[in-house]
Amino acid sequence: MAASMLCVRTSMFFRTLKGISGSKTLLSANPQTLLLQTASYNPKPLKRNLQGPYIPDKDSEKTPEWQKTPRFDRKLFGRYGSASGIDPTSLWPNHEQLERIIEEENQWHPPLEVMLKNLREKERKDTEKRLAKEKLIAANMAKMPKMVAEWRKEKLQTKMKLKEEKTRRTKLLAEARESLGQTLDPRNHKFLEMVADLEKEEKKKQKLMKRRLKQEQAAVPLAPPPAST
Amino acid sequence: MSFPKKPGGKALDILQSLPRITLANLRPEPGSIKADKRLGRGQHGGNRSGRGHKGQRQRGHLPRLGFEGGHTPFYLSIPKYGYNEGHSLRPQYQPLSLKRLQYLIDLGRVDPTQPIDLTQLVNGRAVTVQPLKRDYGVQLVDEGADIFAAKINIEVQRASEGVIAAIERNGGVITTGFFDPISLGILIKPIPFFLRGQPIPKRMFPGEDMVPYYTAAENRGYLADPKKIQQARLALAQKYGYILPDISKDELYHMLSMRKDVRQIFFGLAPGWVVNMPEKKILKPTDEKLLKYYSS
Repeated sequence: MAASMLCVRTSMFFRTLKGISGSKTLLSANPQTLLLQTASYNPKPLKRNLQGPYIPDKDSEKTPEWQKTPRFDRKLFGRYGSASGIDPTSLWPNHEQLERIIEEENQWHPPLEVMLKNLREKERKDTEKRLAKEKLIAANMAKMPKMVAEWRKEKLQTKMKLKEEKTRRTKLLAEARESLGQTLDPRNHKFLEMVADLEKEEKKKQKLMKRRLKQEQAAVPLAPPPAST
Repeated sequence: MSFPKKPGGKALDILQSLPRITLANLRPEPGSIKADKRLGRGQHGGNRSGRGHKGQRQRGHLPRLGFEGGHTPFYLSIPKYGYNEGHSLRPQYQPLSLKRLQYLIDLGRVDPTQPIDLTQLVNGRAVTVQPLKRDYGVQLVDEGADIFAAKINIEVQRASEGVIAAIERNGGVITTGFFDPISLGILIKPIPFFLRGQPIPKRMFPGEDMVPYYTAAENRGYLADPKKIQQARLALAQKYGYILPDISKDELYHMLSMRKDVRQIFFGLAPGWVVNMPEKKILKPTDEKLLKYYSS
């Protein structure tokens, strides 16, 4: 519409220009001679009927397809009102279209209540999860002092064990040196054999000790029953 | 030497005698248009057209963007991390500061005696909203909150706490409302929409991610309970230390109490109506199914 208005205006303007160029003598009579530049062409007439609204002929083959659509009909109504000759009831969707619209809306746009319910459910789940986690953390933190104490004890024990082992080893070395001589290489296989023998003996001794202890322990509870009978 | 009798006499003469300047009689300034350099013409036909001999200089091929001549380029050596994940899908809100809003009101570009919504802001050229670029509306920014002095009823899409306090301190009303992209496009350009001859659609509810914002009374959301909003207004007045003016005794009470329906896009126009611009008429549907659909 704006373009057509512009065309009308330019054509009017050219008409006035013609008048001016016709009275060139008048202008040149001015004291300061002006260099007048005029557009000197005639605009082509627009091959459109700009008087009334353009209503496309729906039966004509020359009319483009997009001008025969209901969308274009609505546009015509919006532009020209009732002069377009469009039935106003066709502006709204008919029952079939409306059903389709409603179906689509039900599919993609859940009502507010459903959304709020979903949100509440989500929040509830989140808080539940958080509370469970917090509970677990609290329970584990309650166990913590005991666990720390245990860990300290264990650490001390391993330390003591290592110390014991070291003293035993030095003792063994000293024994071996006594029997095999002072200049002894700890990597010597003779020495290693001897150490292994000594360890074996010690193990045997320990085993014996253990067995004896067990026997004694077994003997102690066994002894009272005959005493009681 | 001859002096012109009036200063600007010649120019005035020309102005009076010549036709009005239009696109049809404008031409470029003499000397402002330079002819393109035409390379490789005439006796220079088989030559190199002034570009030297062979290689990058002659062919003008450049290494690809970010290439550092064989180094591992910066864009590959720095690991990427998800700070900007989904940045192209995030909703955008054009900022509008209270300072600017005050300026627009002072100049008369925005009328404070009527409820202000996005249409008024766009018409006053306060913001430019592009729904196709994931703009979801405007956000009010609290720059100039200390000098803001207008009593307005404004509807925006996001607002900070300071902004709400600044508006309510002056006895104004603020609402944050959601518009889906289609409604937003209609709201910012009503007349092209009316010329399309379509019924005004329903305004859709926000998605599940935005529902908490618009149901919160602290944000003055349009889905919030009005009673809770009143409580939140009082609480905010206490927090910022001002006395909340009583709107119900105000002479502009009618204007200040205007609020859009949850499904309404324009003030005074219900969904389902067709606005006939050339005849200045409003057409309303009478079919029961249509009425039911548009009122739900």
